[in-house]
Amino acid sequence: MKNTMVIDLDRCIGCYSCEIACKMENDVALGVYYNKVLTIGPTGTFPDIEQYFLPTICQQCYDAPCVGVCPTGATYKSADGTVLVNKELCIGCKYCMMACPYGARSFNETQKVVEKCTLCGQLQAIGEKPACVKVCCSKARLFGDIDDPKSDVSIALREAGSDNIHSLPDSGNHPSVKYILHRKTATWQATPPKETWRTTNQSGRKGDKQHG
Amino acid sequence: MGSEWSLVFFTSFVDLGCGLFVALAINEWFSINPQVRWKGAIAVLVALGMGGISSVLHLGHPERIFGALGHPTSGIFLESSMIGITGICVLVYIFALNRNATAQTLKAITLVGSIPAVILAFAVGDSYVMASRPAWDTLVLPFAYLGSAAVMGCFAYRILVVNPSDSLVSQSTLVSQGLLILQAALVIAYVVTLSNAPYSDASRSATQVLAGGFAPLFWGAIVIVGLLIPFVLNTIKKESLATSISATLGLVCVFIGAAAFRVLMFNLGTTVWQFF
Repeated sequence: MKNTMVIDLDRCIGCYSCEIACKMENDVALGVYYNKVLTIGPTGTFPDIEQYFLPTICQQCYDAPCVGVCPTGATYKSADGTVLVNKELCIGCKYCMMACPYGARSFNETQKVVEKCTLCGQLQAIGEKPACVKVCCSKARLFGDIDDPKSDVSIALREAGSDNIHSLPDSGNHPSVKYILHRKTATWQATPPKETWRTTNQSGRKGDKQHG
Repeated sequence: MGSEWSLVFFTSFVDLGCGLFVALAINEWFSINPQVRWKGAIAVLVALGMGGISSVLHLGHPERIFGALGHPTSGIFLESSMIGITGICVLVYIFALNRNATAQTLKAITLVGSIPAVILAFAVGDSYVMASRPAWDTLVLPFAYLGSAAVMGCFAYRILVVNPSDSLVSQSTLVSQGLLILQAALVIAYVVTLSNAPYSDASRSATQVLAGGFAPLFWGAIVIVGLLIPFVLNTIKKESLATSISATLGLVCVFIGAAAFRVLMFNLGTTVWQFF
């Protein structure tokens, strides 16, 4: 069993409601994100330019390096394959933050522990889906067991076809989160995004800062 | 990521202590200068202690550190266990000195203690070798840490030697110059590795180090202060500058160089794909 997320970038409209829902559901501190929507592009030459939105979260890696480096076992994989942090065991050494290839973890300055996306385990426990999935207005986010051929995520991946399924760069961690992007929407950019508008605060979203 | 000063001082002080303890072992095995024993052992303990305190300052919850003993595969387990074993060996060495133990006993203790000291000097660098940070994903890094331990240990040892003979001065000068050249080679190897690292990015490029934002740190603190000035201090004749002053200045310089290398490493440690 491996609970994970499939995100259909053909459908994502970049409304950021998943970001907001995540922060509200999980009480994520100002300037910290478990879930962030990046703008990839525009790429190409006018008038042939492309752009797409890339919602990023913990990639729930099969070989999660954050689990291996944790000195106390605070970072662990649950029975459903979700990578989680037991805050009672975390010593706040930040090695897991260093080991994450995507900077998907953040340090909680109040609790002095590391935290990350939990796929909203508290909602799953009452039979609901993660907040970002529930709130997505274009149904771009799908959640389920990728090992179950009848799950939403498996069906979506089958229908998309292997040519249109993408993953973030793999440095041996084998990310389980999959992205669907057809060529008719945009070309998948395998190189890291160069999003600058948040760090320069031109959008007025002050408080955004680098972590990791 | 930022400079992570607590980790910079943790690894620098620990490497200083390890290097000096190995120098004390060499001192025992070649019966060079018995006067350095006590001062050297206390200095190693102080260096390891300062390193340990620095590492604790890095932790959000140091009171939970004993949880690390249950997970022997992590880098922190290796670091904390080796620092503990090395510290115990230094204490045993001090105990043996206090009991006027035979030279053979002291040789045995320092030889046994050198093993965890060398492992520790390597391990504090090896903990950062991870695929998620392309600038760190090389074995050159722990070897550079090991090299800095050797250089700092050599200069620290030279401070402790009182009224050294001419032959000891010339031999220690030769050794420290050789170690500085080795360290320079490791620094060059690290820059070459950076230029060939996967997932190339401007934030961690060799150009950034040699001619970009990190150039003052690299050329000023690592090359000039950390390598060139200690090398020049080594070549100055004994008459023009007392050996102890030369060694003290040299140790300050190589320590700054070692710390600067670690600061550079942390600042180059951007992830494969930074989300947040």
